Amino acid sequence: MPRPRLPPPALFLSLAAFLVLVFYMVPLILTLWASLTPVRNWDIAQLRQFVGAENYRRLFHLIRFDPDVSTVVKTTIVFVAGTLTVNVLGGLLLALAAFIIEERASLGFRLLWFLPRMTPVAVFGLLWYYFFYPQGTLNAILLKLHLISHPVNWGQDVLPWGPWSIIIFVNGLVGVSYGMIIFYSAFKAIPKDIYRAALVDGARLRDLVFRIMLPLTRWHLIFVTVWQLLSLLTTYAHLFVLVEWGVVEKWHGMTWALYVFETAFGSAVNDQALASAAATLLVVVGIGLGLLTLRLMGFERELGAIRGEL
Amino acid sequence: MQGEGLLAGLLGSLKPRRRRRQPTEELPLASRAVSYTVIAALLAASLPIILSYTLLVELSFSASFIATPFEKTSFTLENWRLFFQGRLAPTAAQIYTPSYIRRMILDTLIVALGVMGVVVASATPAAYAFSRMNFRGRGALMRFLILLHAFPGVALIIGVYAIYVYTYRRLALGLHAGEAALLAYAFLYVIVARASLEIPMSTWLMKGFFDRIPWEVEWAALVDGASRLRVFTRIMLPLVKPGLAALSIFSFMAGWEELIYVVVFLPSKAPTLASYIHSQLSGGAIETAYLPVVAAAAVVYLIPTILFFVFTQSLLVEAAEGAGVKA
Amino acid sequence: MVEVELRGVWKRFGDFVAVKNVNLRFPDGKFSSILGPSGSGKTTLLYLIAGIYKPSRGEILFDGEDVSRLPPNKRNVGLVFQNYALYPHMTVFENIAFPLTIKGLPRGEIEERVHSVARMLHIDELLDRYPHQLSGGQQQRVALARALVKEPAVLLLDEPLSNLDALVRLEIRGELKRLQRRLGITTIYVTHDQSEALAMADLIAVIHRGEIQQVGSPEDVYRRPRNLFVAGFIGMPPANLVKAAVTRTPTPCVVIAGGGEYCPGEPLASKLEALGLEAVVAAFRPEDVVLGEHPMEDYVSMEAEVYVVETLGRENLVTLRLPDGQAVKAITSPLLNPRPGDKMYVNVEPSKILLYDPDTELNIEAIEAAPAARPVSLAGSPERRRAAQEED
Repeated sequence: MPRPRLPPPALFLSLAAFLVLVFYMVPLILTLWASLTPVRNWDIAQLRQFVGAENYRRLFHLIRFDPDVSTVVKTTIVFVAGTLTVNVLGGLLLALAAFIIEERASLGFRLLWFLPRMTPVAVFGLLWYYFFYPQGTLNAILLKLHLISHPVNWGQDVLPWGPWSIIIFVNGLVGVSYGMIIFYSAFKAIPKDIYRAALVDGARLRDLVFRIMLPLTRWHLIFVTVWQLLSLLTTYAHLFVLVEWGVVEKWHGMTWALYVFETAFGSAVNDQALASAAATLLVVVGIGLGLLTLRLMGFERELGAIRGEL
Repeated sequence: MQGEGLLAGLLGSLKPRRRRRQPTEELPLASRAVSYTVIAALLAASLPIILSYTLLVELSFSASFIATPFEKTSFTLENWRLFFQGRLAPTAAQIYTPSYIRRMILDTLIVALGVMGVVVASATPAAYAFSRMNFRGRGALMRFLILLHAFPGVALIIGVYAIYVYTYRRLALGLHAGEAALLAYAFLYVIVARASLEIPMSTWLMKGFFDRIPWEVEWAALVDGASRLRVFTRIMLPLVKPGLAALSIFSFMAGWEELIYVVVFLPSKAPTLASYIHSQLSGGAIETAYLPVVAAAAVVYLIPTILFFVFTQSLLVEAAEGAGVKA
Repeated sequence: MVEVELRGVWKRFGDFVAVKNVNLRFPDGKFSSILGPSGSGKTTLLYLIAGIYKPSRGEILFDGEDVSRLPPNKRNVGLVFQNYALYPHMTVFENIAFPLTIKGLPRGEIEERVHSVARMLHIDELLDRYPHQLSGGQQQRVALARALVKEPAVLLLDEPLSNLDALVRLEIRGELKRLQRRLGITTIYVTHDQSEALAMADLIAVIHRGEIQQVGSPEDVYRRPRNLFVAGFIGMPPANLVKAAVTRTPTPCVVIAGGGEYCPGEPLASKLEALGLEAVVAAFRPEDVVLGEHPMEDYVSMEAEVYVVETLGRENLVTLRLPDGQAVKAITSPLLNPRPGDKMYVNVEPSKILLYDPDTELNIEAIEAAPAARPVSLAGSPERRRAAQEED
């Protein structure tokens, strides 16, 4: 058997490194570069032309003067703020609830709330399609309770909060389990004797939560907030189906990430240059938040030391 | 925080089940009344989830369209028959064949297994190197992986598609590749491109598993004269089996559920379950009459998820000890 | 201050019985110790008293009042944990003040009480620090201060010294005892370390496999172990347990291998007679053995072969083998330095020999003295108890 010539680390890293190079680094550079070219309709020959900051000028012009694009900006802000609140506070509440109830029930609820995360996007979209569309579950229940007199198309007609609520609700259900699980394991990681000591010291549930559990897990709280902020800025799969299937009105269901996708791949526009410019803005924000996450997660501890001199 | 991990948090509490030596009792954190109130509140909050999943399954067995799980309907297997006969849109002009359905499921499976294979094959050795080897730039590279995960996927997909367009045209026009070859290329591309997105977090996940193996095990093998490669394949891989299982499951699910890449990259003659459901609903063209059949398709699409919850718990209990995060 | 009493207390975790029918009384103002090997249920017992666990059956009374169902915060107990369980995110001051803050006492009173308890424990210099900035001994004092600051009715200590260095341990041991005397607080001290229990406690309860084996003063427990478990557990090293036959000539005599014969006087002789035993277990402490080249008069003497000699510095520990293979340990002067293989005589004063029924494992002297009077349970078949000992 011929001995491999590569030094061992390079050998072990080679496949991952190749894939990362081809499918992360090159595309990223291409996208950044495309934002400086006039490329449209996937005519990649146009990548050879250079137009400077033209696309960025167009983009900012659209944000200022195109009501649809400014709606996208508003939707992004509302969506990120709303879903972030749901994910962090909801995750915290779920974790607390799961932590104080009996173990078997707790496991059941944790698995139930984990279900959306493990459900294919298309199926999850379908569930809420059935739920929100005019002849769907929500209207059926509301009609039965005589809260409304005729079916309402919540996602299309009740602007802007109808679609905004729906996208926050659907993405919140998917995202809330992340916070739940991180917080739950953080609560579990606090030594049991600390809880016992507090109980003996006279603490009630309220004292336990506010004086012991939350102060001891504040770094998890910050970490989850930043990481979720990042995820929400860049996620678009669920929004894509909600918009494409008409569950929500197009511009009020579209965040910046989905706007990038629709601009690049949508049947109507297909303007990759503009999309790339919009994507570049996201990349800048993403890298900034990514660096912040790195600082927060106690990286050196996670890295672990290499023992021995092999 | 990464180390504490999603799996640990989800299933960590199952761990003591195996050893009964140290008896424990739950902490009396809340009185029984508070505890039951919390359970009731959780149940109420979970109602939308329970309702919607119940409705989906019920609808797939229902003779008529129902809007809530409580509505009266008669039980039928008609939707399933229509689905497996390929009559996905019974009143529409489009008639499919049973082979089309098999094809659809098979395509979904190919993408899922492909993603799984690429992720496991690339992330496992990389994770081993990060866990066990000292080389220049180790810390920087690990940091870089986190940053990679933070890159907006939507920024990448433009570049990824541009490369695809370029290479596809070269294959079709320059090399005159046949239709079958082009289709194979499309599959290969979507698999590898999608799998690459999973590499950063998967590497971190697997590193967590490798980190837990005692160094002495590896040193013993090296002292016994094994090469690094041999240590990896003969000693380390068998020891991280729970990690490999967890990684396989998560990467399989990532490929199985993929919608965007499949819709963008695969031609319409290569449908998956995701692109089928998407095609039925997009553009708002759907009429309520077809929804039960779509529900049947969705239930089929949910099978791995259900299996995940039913069968993998005990495996994941062990995996929980390896830990790591999937965002 | 209160008297703590446990009446028929059981604790089950699933099908595991951690505490079995425990009846115990911890006297008001006294220093009591629960002594047992690890896994014997002693911490469970302590948590039951603290209210962290609720008994599956039975009652726990503070001064005659049933507190079994009260949560920990209604019991006014102070608890010091083995690992101290200091709140890592609070300063020493905040840690000690925590029980008072929870009660919502006014700021001034909290400061006063925290400072006074901190002065008492010599940690008033450390109040601004965080737990991770303290040494083990300092953390231990903070934990003690936190337990004492609320002026508890009962002070519970769970192996509080086991995480400390040997020297600090001795220092805190003395201090703890003085403090308890001064405050006169009912104290229950859980430990697996018999030297701690013997040195500090007014009353020792020996527990094993969830059952109380013996309750008594340190002297009692050491000199008159109530059963074979206690005899084999207490002492460094523990008592020699030697199987012996009973002959009747016609008065009963105990015959040990190697020529040892012990004919007990009254009332032991008639008890032995009444039980009609064919065999007994004779127990004597290694420090009560006089090793010599010849049998000694008025002593029970057994011929034995030296097996191992361990030099302990101040003394030697000699392990010998009786002709039938049973091992006997003897503590001797370091000047006596036999070699393995030497024949020697193991001489023991008859009064230092205790006899045990091999089936019930009870001290024969204690059997009829008052079998039912003491609130201790020794239920259980002999096989099970033997199995228990094999495990140790």
